[in-house]
Amino acid sequence: MLSFKLQAWNAQAPGLESISDWGHWLEQPFPLSHELPKLSLKQIPPMLRRRFTELGRCAAGAALPLLEDVTAIPGVFASRHGDTPLTLSLLEGIADGEPMSPTGFSLAVHNAVSGLLSIARKDVSEVTAIAAFDNLIPHALLEAATQLQSRDKVLCLIYDVPLPELYQAYSPSEPFPFALAMLLSRDEGVDISIQQHPSEDTQSLSSDVLRMMRFMCGLDRQVHFAGKAHMGWTLCREA
Amino acid sequence: MSNLHQEIKQMIIDALDLEDIEAAEIHDDEPLFVDGLGLDSIDALEIGLALQKHYGIKLKSDSEETRQHFASVNALAALIQSQSNNK
Repeated sequence: MLSFKLQAWNAQAPGLESISDWGHWLEQPFPLSHELPKLSLKQIPPMLRRRFTELGRCAAGAALPLLEDVTAIPGVFASRHGDTPLTLSLLEGIADGEPMSPTGFSLAVHNAVSGLLSIARKDVSEVTAIAAFDNLIPHALLEAATQLQSRDKVLCLIYDVPLPELYQAYSPSEPFPFALAMLLSRDEGVDISIQQHPSEDTQSLSSDVLRMMRFMCGLDRQVHFAGKAHMGWTLCREA
Repeated sequence: MSNLHQEIKQMIIDALDLEDIEAAEIHDDEPLFVDGLGLDSIDALEIGLALQKHYGIKLKSDSEETRQHFASVNALAALIQSQSNNK
């Protein structure tokens, strides 16, 4: 078992921009827009802001409010699918025989969001960009909590946008853009444990993201993530 | 401002997603990179691609000559004019 302290968090989805928005929505859900409205991202200079795609705007919108008083912090950037709308548009361009946009290409890598945020914040702390098929959330937290062994605070940022229609038959994705930013600390905040344990490979009725957000909002004290190979993960808020 | 200058400015704005900038705000003799408009190295590659698409001009990415062609809108206009005169 591994423990960490959650000092602060923030989450972003279309129409859900505060912790209380999330709490109300989880109790009385309604369909969210598939697209994130244009966020102002005023903290980022306009010449850099133009480089943020919807995925980056979503992730930055969740993370930046947590980092206002933080000058340097290592980050774990976790996204299951990455910027699939962008990579698909580049692939379609190749298929049409068009030369590829250098900007588009540079932003299509999995660590693009972390790179943009690093430039915007002038923070050269180390970043780790991960993708995971199953259990993205506990794996991202495991990486971040492990990094806490050598750092006082670590940012853990989990984000995805809906898959383009072409890919939707092949893999599940949330129907709305989503980002969860968590500030993990060694010594400040709520105690949370993360534990791996034997688990049945049961299909839960709601998605990992929705169950995680119920846990974040304090509606559930524990959240389980069922895994393949009969091993799963549980996050637990300590009393 | 000549039509060519206007055309180049609009090409730059479109190619680089400079949504907040009007063509009239880009000065003919202002440096495009770093100090003036504040473009960066990825923008340079993107402008290179746009020149190829719009005017059929191919440039070497690392030559000193290319650096001079990219100095300002005036320099780009001179490049495009010299290329079309050669045809």
